[in-house]
Amino acid sequence: MTAETTVRSRQLSVRQTVAMAKRSTLEIARQPALIAPSMFFPIFFAVLSASSFSKTTSIPGFPKVESFMQFTLASTVVQGVLFGSVTGAAALATDIENGFFDRLLLSPTTRTGILLGRLAGGALFGLFQSAFFLAVLVPFDAPISAGIPGALVMILSGGIVSLAISAIMSSVAIRTGSAEAVQGTFPLLFVLLFFSSAFFPRETMSGAYKRVADLNPISYLVEGLRALVLEGISFSAVARSLLVPTAICIAAILFALTELRRKLAAR
Amino acid sequence: MNSSADPIVAQDLVRYFGDVKAVDGINITVKTGEIFGFLGPNGAGKSTAVRMLTTLLRPTSGTATVAGFDVAKHPDEVRRRIGVALQDAAIDPLMTGTELLRLQAVLYGIPQSQMKNRASELLERVGLTAAADRRVGTYSGGMRRRLDLALALIHQPTVLFLDEPTTGLDPMSRMSLWEEVRRLNSEGTTVMLTTQYLEEADQLADRIAIIDAGKIVREGKPQDLKAGVGFPTLLITVPSDQTERAKAVLATFGEIRPTAEGSLGVGLRGGANVVTDVVRQLDEASVRVQHLEVNEPSLDDVFAEATGHRLEGAKA
Repeated sequence: MTAETTVRSRQLSVRQTVAMAKRSTLEIARQPALIAPSMFFPIFFAVLSASSFSKTTSIPGFPKVESFMQFTLASTVVQGVLFGSVTGAAALATDIENGFFDRLLLSPTTRTGILLGRLAGGALFGLFQSAFFLAVLVPFDAPISAGIPGALVMILSGGIVSLAISAIMSSVAIRTGSAEAVQGTFPLLFVLLFFSSAFFPRETMSGAYKRVADLNPISYLVEGLRALVLEGISFSAVARSLLVPTAICIAAILFALTELRRKLAAR
Repeated sequence: MNSSADPIVAQDLVRYFGDVKAVDGINITVKTGEIFGFLGPNGAGKSTAVRMLTTLLRPTSGTATVAGFDVAKHPDEVRRRIGVALQDAAIDPLMTGTELLRLQAVLYGIPQSQMKNRASELLERVGLTAAADRRVGTYSGGMRRRLDLALALIHQPTVLFLDEPTTGLDPMSRMSLWEEVRRLNSEGTTVMLTTQYLEEADQLADRIAIIDAGKIVREGKPQDLKAGVGFPTLLITVPSDQTERAKAVLATFGEIRPTAEGSLGVGLRGGANVVTDVVRQLDEASVRVQHLEVNEPSLDDVFAEATGHRLEGAKA
């Protein structure tokens, strides 16, 4: 293969991945009833917890905040993208169930591109969700200390988290080929979120709950973003906001690609 | 690349699913420019064979070349040259016809500059121009099948696989699809078509292979296969308490043939001329004939003769 052919083939792979990401995005945009819960439930939960737990901000160990809404802003972003990611992965499972995935496999496009295209659509939706949550909640006494740069890092981080969770959920979709199985992971995500520092700081926890939260990667995802909201821009906050989700993301994509290869080899 | 000029060649192709042998050592050669029909009931192994030939499944053993390339060793080369419309017309209902055709064009590496024209051309060809910008979810079954065909043709394949393309379609949509398949074939495309409809195989295929329980039981031109069965079939219906007497009479006129439940059939050695003799002898044996028909040999007779049973859902 000449260098020119290799370049042309790479360009084509990128074009194919972009086309599939576009399809994935269109699919999400055209199912408002399916995505509405992942857009509005986190907002509702943020408003509810802000009004119910406002006095907890004075508990010893609670970080200095302007309001509970400010504290919960980061967890709302993570919560929203976690739930939104299930939608994209369930769509992949539906593709497998109804045979559209076979149509893609029948084409000479790369198998990696088929999966990355789907994941890229999920990541774009994650970016959109993050921007939406910030736009809606920041005006309600939830300022971001890191300012606009911090908001942009939060949005980017939301996209990466979405990509990571989409990849994990896509592995479930590829392994089971069942949209129901992917949707069935929703309660598991909720439990993971609940046993993290999403709703209360780890400093205020004790016993088994704290031990689980210490081990839970979602705690670190939320805390990276929370540092931007509460402490302002810093190398450490930006690194935590981007590096933790990126590390999870790389591992998750590699795992999903391995699942896809295994599935295709077993055919 | 295989030097063989035949666009589809399968040799001793076998596929297991667990302990089940879905395809049991089939051999097929499809010539350039042919419409080759693969006829068999549900579960006979037609779709599994097509999925192996189109690179979606790996053969457990045996080899196959399509468009000159080994399906297992050079799947991408095969994919570039074939068009496939699978059984269930798997089409994303949220996308429009145009969007799907453009996506398909990108997947096959068609340059941006040609994409728009190619998509419009195909939409016009399958009569979907007016519905091009509607979401596929609003299409009828026939429209989805036509779009599926258009998608399979986006890269101008030399070999086209159609897996039960008319299943579930109304007669008008079926005829229109047949017309399109004939037109494509007349333009030089080699077509491999699986079907469970006798009429479809009879109308469209230059040659057919009949598959049952994973094995090819007959192969040849439809007219030759029908001629091979020889005699016309006399079908009668009689009261159930007279079945044995009727069978004994029929057996004197030829070989008893498998029929649908409730009727009896015999391959008339003496041809249609002996029908009056059969009726007379049945009358003499006190058998009351409720219904009688004489059928010239059909592919169903070929199937029945080869397998010992009739093709389920055979009527188109």
